[in-house]
Amino acid sequence: MSGAKRILVGAITGARGLGGEVRIKSFTDDPLDIAAYGDLTDQAGERVFSIRLRGSSKGAVIARIEGVDDRTAAEALKGTELYLAREQLPAPADDEFYHADLVGLPVRSSDGRTMGTVRGLDDFGAGEVMEILLESGKPLVVPFSREAVPEIDLDRGYVVVDPPEGLSVDGAKQDDGLADENEENGQDR
Amino acid sequence: MARSVWKGPFVDQYLLTKAENQRAAGRNDVIRTWSRRSTILPQFVGLTFGVYNGQKFIPVLVTENMVGHKFGEFSPTRTYAGHSGDKKASRV
Repeated sequence: MSGAKRILVGAITGARGLGGEVRIKSFTDDPLDIAAYGDLTDQAGERVFSIRLRGSSKGAVIARIEGVDDRTAAEALKGTELYLAREQLPAPADDEFYHADLVGLPVRSSDGRTMGTVRGLDDFGAGEVMEILLESGKPLVVPFSREAVPEIDLDRGYVVVDPPEGLSVDGAKQDDGLADENEENGQDR
Repeated sequence: MARSVWKGPFVDQYLLTKAENQRAAGRNDVIRTWSRRSTILPQFVGLTFGVYNGQKFIPVLVTENMVGHKFGEFSPTRTYAGHSGDKKASRV
């Protein structure tokens, strides 16, 4: 299991009660899904945690871990990060991608040039966007659409990005845009 | 206190001009803007704006539901990356 890609899905933040229950901060989309994919492991992949959910309280998931029967044992787990193997996640639907699969992938332009790496995906209310860290060290955000991201090859491990006209790739273009806008605005910044 | 209705929604004039030019040209390039304070008007629907958040331009494809909101609402200046966990994204 240690060689497989593992995904951080939660962390034990402390004990709850005297019976060995633990509080877990869940990083899954639905916090209660942390126990939906099977057993979890620690960072090294050596210790396996079999989790049974007890509910949720104050933003944390309350769970019981097999083999942890008292508060002392539960407190000893405080700070433990919980991972699952990528293979434990169900296959996504067509044209649906796990963030964990995309983050860190190299990004190429449509003509094959290396642009940078995928830094993350976000949704700020105007649709999903993908943030790329360019080789120059500057960020570039593009819509996560078929036009802007025409190809995603997880097997070969790359993403092709074709930024829409207007979203500049280099800083100089951004400065030009600022000048244009100020000119039209008729004022200095 | 809410803005008086007789004034109409606030929008920077240069942004409105840019959007109208873009629509007249029939193009769908991203309109970069620093005007986070401008209200999204019905004539912006269908256009894509790159709204600056102090660091980068966040693409905002304007839909009908966004009318009446400000551009800045869709381009947060403080972001918490968090962990990817089991989150999924789908291409539109």
